Amino acid sequence: MRSLFQINIRTLFIAVLLIVASALAAKAQDPRLQMGGLDHLAAKASQTVDVNIDERLMKLAARLLSDKAEDEREVKKLVAGLKGIYVKSFEFDTVGQFVAADLEPIRTQLRGTGWTRMVNVTSKKEGNIEVYLQFAGENVNGLAVLVTDDKELTVVNIVGPIDLDKLAQLEGQFGVPELGIESSKSKGKKTNDQ
Amino acid sequence: MKKTATRIFIAAFVVLLTYVPAALAKGDDFNSVVKMIEEFYRVKHVGIPFLAKAGMKVATTAARIKGGEAKRIAEAGSIKLAVFENQDFNGDLTKFRASLNGALNNTWMPLIQTFSATSEEQTYIFLRDAGDKTNVLVVTIADRDATVVQVTLSQKNLALLLKDPEGAGKAITQEATLVDQE
Repeated sequence: MRSLFQINIRTLFIAVLLIVASALAAKAQDPRLQMGGLDHLAAKASQTVDVNIDERLMKLAARLLSDKAEDEREVKKLVAGLKGIYVKSFEFDTVGQFVAADLEPIRTQLRGTGWTRMVNVTSKKEGNIEVYLQFAGENVNGLAVLVTDDKELTVVNIVGPIDLDKLAQLEGQFGVPELGIESSKSKGKKTNDQ
Repeated sequence: MKKTATRIFIAAFVVLLTYVPAALAKGDDFNSVVKMIEEFYRVKHVGIPFLAKAGMKVATTAARIKGGEAKRIAEAGSIKLAVFENQDFNGDLTKFRASLNGALNNTWMPLIQTFSATSEEQTYIFLRDAGDKTNVLVVTIADRDATVVQVTLSQKNLALLLKDPEGAGKAITQEATLVDQE
């Protein structure tokens, strides 16, 4: 017959396992990308931009922007519900300053749970653009944009309910660079090509 | 009895050591940043009491935020300014950035940081909660000059700063450094 002590230990062990598993699952579903792995590129870049607008600041902006002034009202609607905007952008004077492996820390996260690459998204700008959305069921939890060119590397991460139209409107504001995003009519089409 | 008193004294001393630096850090980060720049780059900031006494007022003409009209950003009387003029800022940019972020990490939130490894230009904007207002610390290092500006913003102007961090950051520095031509 098992002692009460043995039963308690087993229950405790299962509880700890459940907590760890749920924490790992939550981490895997986190729409916030960890972009610190790109920091070493700053030493070679002619221009580096690093933007951090967290949930508290987003809420504050949404609350403080006026409902009366038309331009502020539009922005207010735009940022309502967003939980963060994070941007890292590097421009280089010469080509070959970064390689595919430099982006691997970001791609590894985008291969994680929930992230889906949107196809049929292009940019007016030169270079390659990749747009990823993180879904939780039908809802979008976050967005990531990777822009790579010979001399440029930009990662934009927006946390919260966002779509491509909203993203296009955010360009040039809240630290989001001009991405020149264009999506075809079939923009809803998506692929799990990771 | 003597032993108890000694214990109380040691405990009080430890508590003091724990809390005083934190309080000082929160109150005096502006001076810490100025000192950090001086030590890291071996430069000296220019005293500005002369300018202040000469009636330096915040410039209203230069402080334009994209999409808005000319306006004063900083709360009246809230500006702290240190200027470094015509000096060499030679040093490892990434090390300086790490030191600055490390020093301010506990009490300030980094909003936007821009820098160039080739031209050594750097701009940092940090935010700190100050009740119903917000402290903004802007550090700019460019060519042979640098400025450290700390201002207090109303919530309304904070929203504008968030909307256009780069533009508003520049406007804050301009506002603090330009003598009103009016």
